[in-house]
Amino acid sequence: MATNNMRDIKRRIRSVSSMEHITNAMKLVSAAKLRKAKNTFEKTQEYFHYVTESIEEIFHHTNEVPSEYLKGNREIKSTCYIIVTSSRGLCGSFNSNIIKEAARHIAEDRGKPVIVAVGGKGKEYFEKRGYDIFEEYMLPPESISFLETHDISKPIIDMYNSGQIDEVVIIYTSFVSSLEQKVRSVTLLPFEINRDPDFPRLEQQVDYEPSVEEVFNYLVPKYVEIMVYGAIVESATCEHAARRIAMENATDNARDMIGELTLYYNRTRQAAITNEISEIVGGAEALK
Amino acid sequence: MPKSMLLEVITPSKLFYKGEVELVIARTLNGDEGYMAGHTWAVKLLAAGELWFQEAGSKDFKIAAIAGGFVDVKDNIIIFTDAAEWPEDIDLARAEHEKELAEDWLRHPSNDDSEVSRAKIAIAKSLTRMHVKAGGHRRRR
Repeated sequence: MATNNMRDIKRRIRSVSSMEHITNAMKLVSAAKLRKAKNTFEKTQEYFHYVTESIEEIFHHTNEVPSEYLKGNREIKSTCYIIVTSSRGLCGSFNSNIIKEAARHIAEDRGKPVIVAVGGKGKEYFEKRGYDIFEEYMLPPESISFLETHDISKPIIDMYNSGQIDEVVIIYTSFVSSLEQKVRSVTLLPFEINRDPDFPRLEQQVDYEPSVEEVFNYLVPKYVEIMVYGAIVESATCEHAARRIAMENATDNARDMIGELTLYYNRTRQAAITNEISEIVGGAEALK
Repeated sequence: MPKSMLLEVITPSKLFYKGEVELVIARTLNGDEGYMAGHTWAVKLLAAGELWFQEAGSKDFKIAAIAGGFVDVKDNIIIFTDAAEWPEDIDLARAEHEKELAEDWLRHPSNDDSEVSRAKIAIAKSLTRMHVKAGGHRRRR
């Protein structure tokens, strides 16, 4: 009986240690991917502000800014939610955090939400709960190019221009550090900007070509595109960071389990030996 | 020697070029325009086209293909574009293939206006790539 039990424990140790190998390998893969994603993410961050700055500058220096993209010019009836999740699991609470936040926003929304899902997990969740998914994108986020995100932002901007939606909110995970990620929701449109009297005046007259409106109408959609691209890149970075940590925890747990099982195994083995000895001694006693 | 200024060419994913230049020629929506140091401040939209610039102290022009965007001319010049490529990074066969594909769309016209305009943009982009690869549409001076 003891030998039987021992064999079971041995088998469990083997299976746990093979799991440990897998999670450890996944951890290393995620760490490598995280490094790469972080690199791209940092590069995009650096140039982000150029577009927002240009928008602010134009806004502050001209009076003929078209109002359709600005806050307070139309009633918000229906909102579009862009929900950026991952397509793969095994990354801890990464997806559930975003989904929780998104579900909260959508529950508060009295109108009919338009959901654009980037990544499979968010899509599955909202589809299962009977929401219509307006559009979905399943591209692997770490290799996405700016031109590919065009396909995501273009229909949203078109819908905004045609009045089907009045607000665009993007919900994604923002990268604080490799150990910490925060869910953020940002309103992309209408563009919120306040006339700031302290905004530095330009020293020279600026020429806008073909016209102020056209430049402005080019910049605002561009801002949306860049924000969407940035959010996807950032979310990919977070996904890898979250997965790395989840896998690290899994590896640690597996190691603890192996330790416990080994201890248990040794005890059982010792018990079996003691048992045998006492049997032999008992047998020898009986022969006397 | 003319005065030089800082040129930065930025794409969403990277800083494509940064350096001191004497002259920049870019294609705005109204045609090619050249900028030198001390130009009136301006913000202009760019069409897909060639970007030429002369680095400070150099006689030759550098050339790149860019895919539309805007130029912000202040004391320095910032060009923000969706995509930019050096001639050595351009795959000529792919550009030709893309142009043929786009021309094919135009030959079988659909009612969809956006498709037609997309095809036109695609043709313009591949043409730019091909020109840039061949050393530029304009002759080197």
